[in-house]
Amino acid sequence: MKPRFDPRLVLHLLLGVGAVVMVVPFVWMILTSLKSRADIAAYPPQLLPDEWVWSNYQAALDYAPFGTYFRNSLFIAIGHTVINLMLATMAGYALARVPFRGRTVLFMAVLAMMMIPTYTKIVPQYLIAKGMPFFGGNDYLGRGGYGWLDSWWVLIIPGALTPFAIFLFRQFYLSLPRELEEAARIDGMGEFGIFARVMTPLVKPAIATVALVTFENSWNNFLWPLLVTTRDDLRVIQVGLAAFQLAERTEWSYLMAGSTLATVPMIVLFLFAQRYFVQGFATAGIK
Amino acid sequence: MTRTRGSRTGAMAVALVGALLATACGGPAPSEDSDDGKVSGAIRLLTPIFEGADGKTVLEKQLGAFKEKYPDVTVEVDYTSYGKLNEKLTTSIAGGRPYDVMLMGVGWIPPFAAKGALAELDESKQDLVKRYNERVVEPGIYQDKVYGLPIMLDTRFGLYRKDIFAEAGISAPPSNFDELREIGRKLTVRDGSGKLTRAGVDILSNDLRQTFLPLMWANGGELWTADGKPAFNSPQAVGALQLMTDIIRTDKSEDFGFTQPGATGLPLAQGRAAMMVGHNNHLLAIEEQAPELVKEDKIGFFMIKNERPAMFQGGTLATVSAKSQHPAAAKALVRFLTDEQASLAANEQRGNVPALNSLADSEYVKSNKAAQFAMQNLDAAYSEGGVPAWLEIRGDFKAAIESALLGQKTPQQALDELTAKAQAAIAKG
Amino acid sequence: MTSTLESVSVASASRAPRPPRRRRLGAERRRAAYLMLAPSVIHLIWWIGIPVVATFGLAFTNYDVIAGTVEWAGLDNFREIFADDIWNLSIWHTVVFTFFTVPVAMAIAVVIAVLLNQQIRARAWYRAAFFMPHITATVAIALVWMWMFEPNLGLFNLLLDWVGINGPAWLSDPDWAMPAVILVSIWKGIGLKMLIYLAALQNIPHELYEAADLDGASGPRKFFLITLPLLKPATFFVFIVSMIDAFQVFDQVYVLTPDGGPANSTTVMTYEIYRTAFGEFDISAACAQSLVLFAFLLVLTVIGRRLTGKDGDEA
Repeated sequence: MKPRFDPRLVLHLLLGVGAVVMVVPFVWMILTSLKSRADIAAYPPQLLPDEWVWSNYQAALDYAPFGTYFRNSLFIAIGHTVINLMLATMAGYALARVPFRGRTVLFMAVLAMMMIPTYTKIVPQYLIAKGMPFFGGNDYLGRGGYGWLDSWWVLIIPGALTPFAIFLFRQFYLSLPRELEEAARIDGMGEFGIFARVMTPLVKPAIATVALVTFENSWNNFLWPLLVTTRDDLRVIQVGLAAFQLAERTEWSYLMAGSTLATVPMIVLFLFAQRYFVQGFATAGIK
Repeated sequence: MTRTRGSRTGAMAVALVGALLATACGGPAPSEDSDDGKVSGAIRLLTPIFEGADGKTVLEKQLGAFKEKYPDVTVEVDYTSYGKLNEKLTTSIAGGRPYDVMLMGVGWIPPFAAKGALAELDESKQDLVKRYNERVVEPGIYQDKVYGLPIMLDTRFGLYRKDIFAEAGISAPPSNFDELREIGRKLTVRDGSGKLTRAGVDILSNDLRQTFLPLMWANGGELWTADGKPAFNSPQAVGALQLMTDIIRTDKSEDFGFTQPGATGLPLAQGRAAMMVGHNNHLLAIEEQAPELVKEDKIGFFMIKNERPAMFQGGTLATVSAKSQHPAAAKALVRFLTDEQASLAANEQRGNVPALNSLADSEYVKSNKAAQFAMQNLDAAYSEGGVPAWLEIRGDFKAAIESALLGQKTPQQALDELTAKAQAAIAKG
Repeated sequence: MTSTLESVSVASASRAPRPPRRRRLGAERRRAAYLMLAPSVIHLIWWIGIPVVATFGLAFTNYDVIAGTVEWAGLDNFREIFADDIWNLSIWHTVVFTFFTVPVAMAIAVVIAVLLNQQIRARAWYRAAFFMPHITATVAIALVWMWMFEPNLGLFNLLLDWVGINGPAWLSDPDWAMPAVILVSIWKGIGLKMLIYLAALQNIPHELYEAADLDGASGPRKFFLITLPLLKPATFFVFIVSMIDAFQVFDQVYVLTPDGGPANSTTVMTYEIYRTAFGEFDISAACAQSLVLFAFLLVLTVIGRRLTGKDGDEA
C-alpha cells in the first residue's frame, strides 16, 4: 500500500525553499533601501529597518536626473530588442535551415565574435563610432568630426545585434521538424514565407527568451553608454546608479532604492514573457 | 591554416588597425579661431569629482561665475567617477578627442606628462609655494615643469575613539609604532569563544596600499631612492609592513577579513574598533552612521609617527590637454577651478581637504575637524606616484601586502618581489 | 532593411505559381538565405569583426594609447604576459571557475526547468523567483552574500558552529575565496540557463511523453530517454554560452573579492585584461591576453561541438 500523500506537496516544498534562496538578495535590497544610514551601518545587520525611511526613494530620484535616464534606457532597450529580434531571427533561420557553402564557417565566426572580451573591443569600437563617415562633421573617410559620438545612433546601433541571439535562434530553428517546412513548400510558399509564417511562430519561446535577455543586457549596460556620451541628457540609468558609489563611500540606501526601481521593469517583462513558455507543442512535460 | 596565410592575416590586421587609428586621430583639425591672445572658444571638461545632482549643482554655479568672467568661453562638462576615469581618458585620447581640461588624481600626472598628453601650465614652483604648501604642489610637477594644479586633497592619518581610550585610561594616541601595538593589544576585545568583537587597531578599513605607505613614510622610508629606483623594500619599508603583519598575526589586534574598505559600516563608528588608519572622509561617514560620536567629540585624530610623523596625501588636480585647441581658455578654467571660491565649494561638497593655504581659515575648514587636522599637518604630508610607471606598479601593492598579512610570505620577501616587479615595469617604460 | 524584406517577399511571390524543381529551389533558397543573413553579417563585421581583427593586430604591436604611437612588436607582448605569474595564475583560476560553475549550474538548471514546465500552482512566480538572481543588481547580491560569508556572524559560519566546525574567513581566506565565488556564481547562473531550457522544452512534442506513459515509463526514465536527447541543441547552446560567460566572468568576482581577492587568490583572466588595458594603459598586452582567452574558448567550443554530436545538425 502506498502512503496517501501528494507528491506535489514535496515538489512545492522543494521549489519553495529554492525560490526563497533565490529571492533573498532582492528582498534584502528592498529592505536596505528603506533603512536609515545608521541602520545600514549596524552590526550585526538587522533584517527589518528600525525606522522605515520611505523618503530614500525620493532622495535617490533627486540625486540625478533619473527621469531622463529612465526614458533613455527604455528607448535604447526597446530599440535593441526590436532590432535584435528582426535581424537575429532571419540570420538564425538561414544558418539553421538553408544549406549553403560556408555555412559552418559563418556559424563558427558568429560564435567566435563572442569570445573576445568587451574591454579589448571597446577602444576599436569607440574609434569606429567616431570615424563614422558623413556623420557628426566627418568627411567620407570619417575624418574631421566626431562621427556618431554623443548621438542616439551610437547608443542604439552598435549593440543592437548580438551573436548570442543569432546562435539561440539557430538552435531553436534546428530543432523544428522538417515535415512542416516541406508541407509549406508543396503549398507553394517561398523561403521567406516559410520563415515568417510557418517556422517563426513555432519558436515563440525563443523569441521571448531573446527579448528578455536583450532588454536586460541593454538595460544593465553601463560602460559603453558612459564612454560614447558626454552629455547628461544622453546618459542611462546605470550611469545614474553608479553615481551613488563615490570614491570614498557609497550611498547604500539610495543605491538600493535606485536599483530596486531599476529592477521593476525587468520583473514585469519576465512575468509577461514567461507566458510564452507554454505554447508550441508542449503541454505537460513530465509527471 | 598555413604559415604564410597566418602571417598575411597578421599583416593585414596591423594595416587595418593602422588605418583605423589614422582615420580616428589623423583627421584635419577643425579650423576654428586659434587666436591665442583672446580667451575664447568652446572647451570640454572631464571631471571625476562633482558627482551626483549635488556635485553638479555646485559645479554649475561655479561655471556660471566663470562665464561672467570669460563670456566668450563655453564649457561643456562630462561627469564621470574615479572608477571609470581611466576608460574615459583612454578612449578620448585614443580617439583624438581629448578633453581640454581634465581633472585627475596624483598618480596620473607623470605618465600623462611623460607621454606628451598634458600641456605645461604657465606657473612656476616658486610662485605656487606662496599659495600652497610645497608638498601639495609637488604631485603636479613632473621633471620641473608644472602640469597640474591641486583642487582638493584626500588625506589618510590615524583616527581614534576618545571614549574607548578614556575608558581604558589611555590619555594620548600612540606616538610611535611600539605604542601603537601596545595600545592596540590593550584595546582588543574577544568574546568567550575567541571571536573578535573589537579590534584594537583597524588597518583593514582603508585601502591597504594607502595604509602601508603612510606607515612606511612614518618609519623613515621612501618610495624612491635619490636616483629614482624603487626603495620600497628598504629596512624602513619592511619595518612598516612588519608592523602591519604583527598587528594581525602576532598581536591579533585585528583579524584578516574583519572588515574591508567600502564595507557598509565602519568598525570605528560601530564601536568595533578603537582606532584606525583612515581617510579624512571617514569623519563624514561616522557622522552619517553614528552622529552622536561626532556631536559629542568622541573622534580624535593622530599623525602616524615613528621616526617622523607622516600623512598620506592624494588629491585631485586640474590639467590641460596638450592637444587643446583653446589652451588659453583651458588654462583660464584651470586657474578658476583651483582658486579659492571654486575649490572651497568642491571641498565642501565632498568633505575633503582644501589645497590652498588661505582656505585654512575658511568657515568650512573650521567646521570640519578632519580637514582642519589635515591642513595643520601638511608639512608631514607625503604623496605616492612620481614615476610614469606608477599606475602600473601601484596595482601590485595590495596582493603583496596581503601575502604578508596572511603569512604566505615574510614582509621582506613580499616587498622584494614587489620591488622587482616595479623595476621591470619601470625598465619597460 | 525594409527593402530586404520586400525583395524577399517579391522573390517568393514570383516563384510561387511554378512547381519547384530541386536545383532551382536550392539556388533560390540560398539567395533568400543570403538576403536574410546580409544585414546581420554587415552589422557584425562592422561592429564586432573589425574590433576583433584589431585585437588580433594590436596583440602583435606596441600601441601606446596615450602617446598615440604604434610599432611592430612581434611576439613581445606574449612573452611579457606569460612572464607575469599573476596572469598565469588567473588562467588557472578561470579554468577552475569554469570547470565547477558550468556543469553544476547546467545540471541544476535543467532539472528546475523540467519541474517548472509542469502544470503546477504559482508556476509563473516560481519561474520568476529562480530568474531573480540574474536580474538583481550585482552590488545587492554582493552585499547579501558578504553577510552570509562574514567570518563572525555570517550564516555559513553560524551553521558550521552548530556542528562544531570553526569556519574559515571565506572571502578573506585565500583558500576559500574562490569556492565562495564559485558558489555565488552557480546560484546566479541558474536563472538564465533555466530560462533557455524552459524555452527549449516547449518544442518537445507532447505525444512522445504520452507514448512513454503507455509503456509505463517512470519520470526519471522519461527525462533521460526523451527530454535530455531532445534538448541537445539547447544543451549545446547553454554549454557554449555558459562557458564563454564563465571564461569572461568579471562582475560578481570583482564585487565579492575586489582587486583580485586576498593575495590574488580570485583573480581571473578578464579582470587581468581589464587591469592591463585600463589600469596600466597597455592595450596591446591586453589584446595579447584576450587572444589567449580566445584560444581557450575556441578549443573548448570545438570540443563541445564534437561532444554534442554536431549539435543535432540535421536540417
